[in-house]
Amino acid sequence: MNEKGGTRRGSPREGEEVSQIKEPVPGYMKTAFQANGVAADKLIYAIHTDLTLEGDFSDVYVAVDNTHLHILYGLEEVVKVEGARRIVAQYTTHKAEAYPLIDIGELKTEKLLSTCRLISVVGETSEDNDDTSKDDNARKKLLMIFSLGLMGYVDRLIKVVKNIREGVDPMREVIVEDTLFCPKCATRYPEPDRKLCPKCTDKMSIFFRLLSFFRFYTGKVAAVFVVVLAITGLSILAPYVGTRMFVDEVLSPDGQWYRMVGTIVLFFMGIRLLNTGFEMLQGVVVGKIMPWIIYDLQMRIFEAMQRLSVGFYTSKRTGALMNRVSRDARNIYWFFVDGLPFIIINVATFIGVFIVMLLMEWRLALICISIIPALWLMYRLIMHVYRRYHHKFWVINSQMNNMVSDAVNGQRVIKAFAREGEEANRFANLGSKQVEVDVARNNLGFTAFPAIGMFRFLGQVVVTVVGGMMVINGEISLGMLLVFLSYLQMLAGPINFLATVSNWWARCMDAAQRVFEVVDAHADIVEPENPIHLPEMKGEIAVRDVWFQYDPATPVLKGMSLDVPAGQTLGIVGKTGAGKSTLANLIARLYDVNEGSVHVDGVDVKQLSLTELRTNIGIVSQEIYLFIGSIIENIRYARPEATLEEVIWAAKMASAHDFIVTLPDGYETRVGAGGQELSGGERQRLSIARTIIQNPKILILDEATAAMDTETESKIQTALNKLQTGRTTIAIAHRLSTLKDADMLAVINEGKVVETGTHEDLMRKKGEYHKLYSIQMEGLKVISMD
Amino acid sequence: MESIKDQMDLGMMDLNQATFYVGEGGFTGLRYKGEDYKHIVLRRIMPIDQPLHYISVADQENKEICILKAVADLPQDQRDIVERELDSRYYSPEVLDLMSVKDKLGYVYMEMRLRNKQGKEYDKSCAVKDVSRNIRMLSNNSVIIFDVDGNRYVVSDLGALNKQSLRRLDAYLF
Repeated sequence: MNEKGGTRRGSPREGEEVSQIKEPVPGYMKTAFQANGVAADKLIYAIHTDLTLEGDFSDVYVAVDNTHLHILYGLEEVVKVEGARRIVAQYTTHKAEAYPLIDIGELKTEKLLSTCRLISVVGETSEDNDDTSKDDNARKKLLMIFSLGLMGYVDRLIKVVKNIREGVDPMREVIVEDTLFCPKCATRYPEPDRKLCPKCTDKMSIFFRLLSFFRFYTGKVAAVFVVVLAITGLSILAPYVGTRMFVDEVLSPDGQWYRMVGTIVLFFMGIRLLNTGFEMLQGVVVGKIMPWIIYDLQMRIFEAMQRLSVGFYTSKRTGALMNRVSRDARNIYWFFVDGLPFIIINVATFIGVFIVMLLMEWRLALICISIIPALWLMYRLIMHVYRRYHHKFWVINSQMNNMVSDAVNGQRVIKAFAREGEEANRFANLGSKQVEVDVARNNLGFTAFPAIGMFRFLGQVVVTVVGGMMVINGEISLGMLLVFLSYLQMLAGPINFLATVSNWWARCMDAAQRVFEVVDAHADIVEPENPIHLPEMKGEIAVRDVWFQYDPATPVLKGMSLDVPAGQTLGIVGKTGAGKSTLANLIARLYDVNEGSVHVDGVDVKQLSLTELRTNIGIVSQEIYLFIGSIIENIRYARPEATLEEVIWAAKMASAHDFIVTLPDGYETRVGAGGQELSGGERQRLSIARTIIQNPKILILDEATAAMDTETESKIQTALNKLQTGRTTIAIAHRLSTLKDADMLAVINEGKVVETGTHEDLMRKKGEYHKLYSIQMEGLKVISMD
Repeated sequence: MESIKDQMDLGMMDLNQATFYVGEGGFTGLRYKGEDYKHIVLRRIMPIDQPLHYISVADQENKEICILKAVADLPQDQRDIVERELDSRYYSPEVLDLMSVKDKLGYVYMEMRLRNKQGKEYDKSCAVKDVSRNIRMLSNNSVIIFDVDGNRYVVSDLGALNKQSLRRLDAYLF
């Protein structure tokens, strides 16, 4: 394995190389178990957890073989021996436990607030007694406690034990390829799903990968590079001509071009002109390349986004990631347009000036250069403090903005509770904090930067004094001294720039990392290698013992089974969070089941062609999304080749035609962001029309009318009833009255089907459905009495 | 399950049973399948792409009576009635020249030379608010402008606009 234990604080133990970590039981764990009398070669799977039964943090190794579950509590010591890549671990065992598999019964997990328990349940558990807390305590045994984040790994251990019991391959459907820790330096990843080590991320490799986007523009990039070097060379040459040559050769009677002021001025102007020309050329070429680079990047990101599964978008992390994608691309853009050319110029200027100074007069050059490290350090220090103040100011400022927005939006509440004074005080408190920070920031800015200027001036004074003495002694010319002073001034620019650019660089590389993360992400739902094609889908659905969880700690479906014959309507009833919508997502294969299977016409959906499956499944849900475009484009979205007449018919079927024709632009009305505003009911009817055009064999109505008023609901319900004819329909609704006519109803509770039957059957049964129905009817009576 | 085509009943107009007329009050009416609708509402289903095809005919309660597939299918006299009614409803003069376009405090003030359907040319000043919504490309070559009073002006062929007008408008075309 390379579970937590497999990689933690350096997965390669006892001299193992990093690349050899994908083992179900890593070598260092085998050694630890061997030392405790366990036959390590028989171990099948092992994980590394973190808590003792008393709740103390510990290094807990848990392994399973064909007969036992072994647990070691102890302390792992990691010793680096050769660089960062070769690490040796020593394990000191405090306690060892072994449980025979035949005695521990079924393994279950119980989620606590921040930790979980692994519990063995001895004996048979009844189907409807899934919750471990309801089990008889006498039959349960607490095996271990672990942090919530390790739930996924413990789940895999449970799966292995289950496979052993069932006599199948123990590692069937058990993933061993992920890790929580960086394999290089053993630092825990800040985000478990994002395998990105803050220490080991090689910014240079990201930079070179970014540079690979420039491969189509190598000629232009080379030209920019040459031009940048030419700019640097000319910048260095300018003071030499403007001071050294002017003073020593033109103004001095001994000079080579004595009195030829016009010539030297022309020469100088020529240099400046050339320099300006090169700067313009560089700007134009960079300006031409960069938009295309950003276009390439954005296209890569967008294409990657289309490939990814729904799960990627719904995870919190990726949600934030996606929001930043466009900003990240801009960050990269500005770094390459405004940053990189100037980094090259400044580095080249710094090196070039220093070399020229050394060649001209090495003693003065060394005096000049001696102040550079101090100057550099001062810049770094001041910028560090300055940025801290700036950040503080920014945080307070955004809090104040939020407060203003709060006060504007909540005026009615503020006034209703007569809290105007308090609100003003709150704002004043924050304002005074902002003033404090701003004053400190200004003080720093107005004192530190002049102080740096003064320090630089002192350097100039030293150079002037020493240089002046050298001029008096005839060791150097006056022009030489003046050009040295000019070069000293020139060095200040690169130092200032390079002291501040590091953050810019880090920000750009971070942005690039996030962009590449999206580009490199793998889709969870992939097309099978040899998909099965159903020439004429009938629409028969079978759900077999399906287990599903969005996050490892909370299963949503717990062994759900259902059958829907082709052409029939199944109504699904249940409380919020019971797993109704999840079931719809699994049928459409927006997610894959964790265990069990979903079949359409007898074929596992995982084996069906994804496009074929999804074109045959129409989903009308509460969440309606209209794309930017005309109404006709939105209705045609499911079948772009649909004729105008088919679109009109679909809209009529969806009771949408009447409101569409009253819009000034009819079917050509633009909707979506920035377009015509439509009510929820109108949007819903458009989405139904879109589904009608799709003409799916299976229809999933997921709370399609939940947010509608009664009149709109009635219109939509009529549309939906027309749509259901001849299709297999799964209708999910809170309002049970809308499901009365379904061929069959299934009541879902806590991820399981607890009742099935027609409305009449279930009412007679007086079970869960009867209870829910009665509550709703009572509620309606109260409303009608009011 | 039936295919879409088998199920489609769009309520297309039976031309043999339809007669458009202009009533005494000047409103357009329709005699259709034995009913006399004295004041009808004609709406273009595709006002931009197909202004003279797929016309929704509704009564005063906005209940659709039928859909006229093509105005050209009607006899000339009725065709004139329908076209006049449509022109009146979708009144949107053609922009011939943009003499001035000025951006002031979030409003764009335009001075335009327009031509109406009857071929009459005249000058008009208007103000446009929220240009991203109210100056819209209808196709690659046509633009619609909505002013603050709700009037619509159309540039049906950007290529036919003179260079200065095009330059003035270009900044607002997205």
